[in-house]
Amino acid sequence: MWRLRPGQTLQYRQWDGECVLYNDLSGNTHLLGDGAIELLLALRRGPATRAALAAVLQAEFDIDPAALDHETDTLLHDLKHLYLVDTMAC
Amino acid sequence: MLTVASLTRTELEARLAGPGLPVRTGAFVSRIHSPLRHVADGIELLYGAYPLLGEDSFADFDVGLRPSGGLRRWYRPQVNFDLDGLVPFEPLPQAHAFPMLEWGLNWCISTRAHAYLMIHAAVVERDGLAAILPAPPGSGKSTLCAALVHRGWRLLSDELALFRPEDGLLVPVPRPVSLKNRSIDVVRGFVDGAVLSRPVANTTKGTVAHLKAPADSIARAAETARPAWIVFPKYEAGAATALTPIPRARAFFRVADNAFNYSHMGARGFATLAGAIDGCASYDFRYSDLDEAMAVFAALEAPQ
Repeated sequence: MWRLRPGQTLQYRQWDGECVLYNDLSGNTHLLGDGAIELLLALRRGPATRAALAAVLQAEFDIDPAALDHETDTLLHDLKHLYLVDTMAC
Repeated sequence: MLTVASLTRTELEARLAGPGLPVRTGAFVSRIHSPLRHVADGIELLYGAYPLLGEDSFADFDVGLRPSGGLRRWYRPQVNFDLDGLVPFEPLPQAHAFPMLEWGLNWCISTRAHAYLMIHAAVVERDGLAAILPAPPGSGKSTLCAALVHRGWRLLSDELALFRPEDGLLVPVPRPVSLKNRSIDVVRGFVDGAVLSRPVANTTKGTVAHLKAPADSIARAAETARPAWIVFPKYEAGAATALTPIPRARAFFRVADNAFNYSHMGARGFATLAGAIDGCASYDFRYSDLDEAMAVFAALEAPQ
């Protein structure tokens, strides 16, 4: 199960397919793609499973089903590395 | 309103050497102390139109340009810059005293005025809309700024863009425009009747001189401006004039790279800068010909 890290308020702007987001925990500012911000917005609604997050990506973007799992895992790993999301016990 | 020009040279020197000269430059008041002729020369030449405040007025910055002590004062006199009695820099030759005052006043603002999001940039305004010119030294920013403010644009600053977080407007700090090396003669040739301080050679920035700020810009120093254009200038000898749009997200990071306190301001800095990017059109601007550059700026359209 994945969740937004507590304390993240997701201040961001989306311009021309690129997203600039302020990280409340690190104080850094990140340049993110559309997929990453869709995952963060989904997690702002509440914790979600990897499968549910993959479904979000599938619904929003035309991703090859064979690449969907890899794409989802890569994005979640990157967002976790930035202290934006975290896993939690089910 | 009394201005610095209302003082005689003798009165000016007495104020500088005694209680200090409180001068308002836009949002800030600096009380300047100095017994040095070079400082009085620069202030007399370039600060005549600024409001002169009473001796007891509150000052944001109490600064001094004072001769350093020691044996060196007899054979190679130097000057120290101090703020509230603290001496943050190594001394410089006394001939550098006036540029040191200008650099010191910039330093006072950029290290203390954290109520604003501060960007290292020139800012000029026309019809209430401001063009922000962020750039590192050597990019031709001040040359372009000096030319623009003598072709219908109002000077807000040639060094510091101050964004007010409450409303995103730019707060003016109109002070003399710092010119270096070849740009001194370029501006002399471009601006009829340009008033420049005596060039000072062999500074850490080469030869420097300061251009007097237009009187209208000083008189309107309380008028804020709405950010409308972000233009990253780059002077390249012989280059064709070119104005190239920049995607907003990329412009955001490039402006942040030129900020003094973006990280310090945290989420407030993000919101302020994001608001500015929302309302601005952003460009790279390459130029070599000032007349062509003026034409490009004159044709800038207000963003939607």
